[in-house]
Amino acid sequence: MAIVKRSKNDVVDTDERSGARDFPGLTADLGDENQVKRRWAARDLAIYSQAAPVLIERLFLEQDSSVREAILISLTQIGDDTAVQGFIRCLRSEDARLRNEAIDAMKNLPDAVAPIMKNLLNDVDPDVRIFSVNVLESLRHPQVENWLIRVISHDENLNVCGTATDLLCEVGTLAAVLPLEALKQRFPDEPYIAFAADLALRRIREA
Amino acid sequence: MSRHILVVDDAATVRLYHRSILEAAGFAVDEAVNGIEALEKAFSTAYDLYLVDVNMPKLDGYGFLRELRRQDMPQAPALMISTEAGSHDRSAALIAGANLYFLKPTRPDELVAYCSLLLGGSA
Repeated sequence: MAIVKRSKNDVVDTDERSGARDFPGLTADLGDENQVKRRWAARDLAIYSQAAPVLIERLFLEQDSSVREAILISLTQIGDDTAVQGFIRCLRSEDARLRNEAIDAMKNLPDAVAPIMKNLLNDVDPDVRIFSVNVLESLRHPQVENWLIRVISHDENLNVCGTATDLLCEVGTLAAVLPLEALKQRFPDEPYIAFAADLALRRIREA
Repeated sequence: MSRHILVVDDAATVRLYHRSILEAAGFAVDEAVNGIEALEKAFSTAYDLYLVDVNMPKLDGYGFLRELRRQDMPQAPALMISTEAGSHDRSAALIAGANLYFLKPTRPDELVAYCSLLLGGSA
């Protein structure tokens, strides 16, 4: 692999590991000033089930995009409750990049995310509820449509319902027809809801 | 000639909604699904205005605007839209390079009015 730029912080060959590869050694490397060391540490920590907390903490600090990517891949591979709770912390962050990375990572963890999805969709913060609907976009789980129908039937927030309706345009079946009609009645003066619900209904009926 | 707007949003329904409103008002519209695709289009087409969502995969709206504003090229105004109403979100949008920030869901008359305002009054 070619090295494009050499600098004080980039003196380790990109294909070279260095330092101790046990958990304490990798944890130390994860905080190293050299981003290549941090990247390798993030990758190699994926085999340690206890690594999720340190990877999450590093994710909140890390600025190098390749290290962040390695951390996210390792957290997804670990995929336990701690990793998922870490991603939920990211959803509450004011850092849009962190939020979007967490959403993408959670989409790959259907078995770990499914048990907590109901709570996420009832979170007190509407932004968290919107991000949770975003997670459903690619979450391969049989409950996705039911969760979305529950959102458009009960959530009071316009944007949460709008985001769920966007997704029902893609995954909605005949089961969503009556809830979509009811949603339009619940928000009769909202042009976006009318537009998105009509689009979803048209696509369902044409399918 | 119609003023040319790039709509940047990962939600297909939102893009379609904005396209239908803006085209009905006489604007020409292109679409991008994230900040990366928006940058590619911005480098090859001279848009008059960008309508940009905040939360998108690969490169979010802030990242797109920051990168766009660093380029040595003619700069068009940008209108950022989001579901997030906090003062942090508004200031982050303006710092990134947005000219206006307003909240979803957009109403057709408001969207056209904001776009016309940033474009100096006409489609």
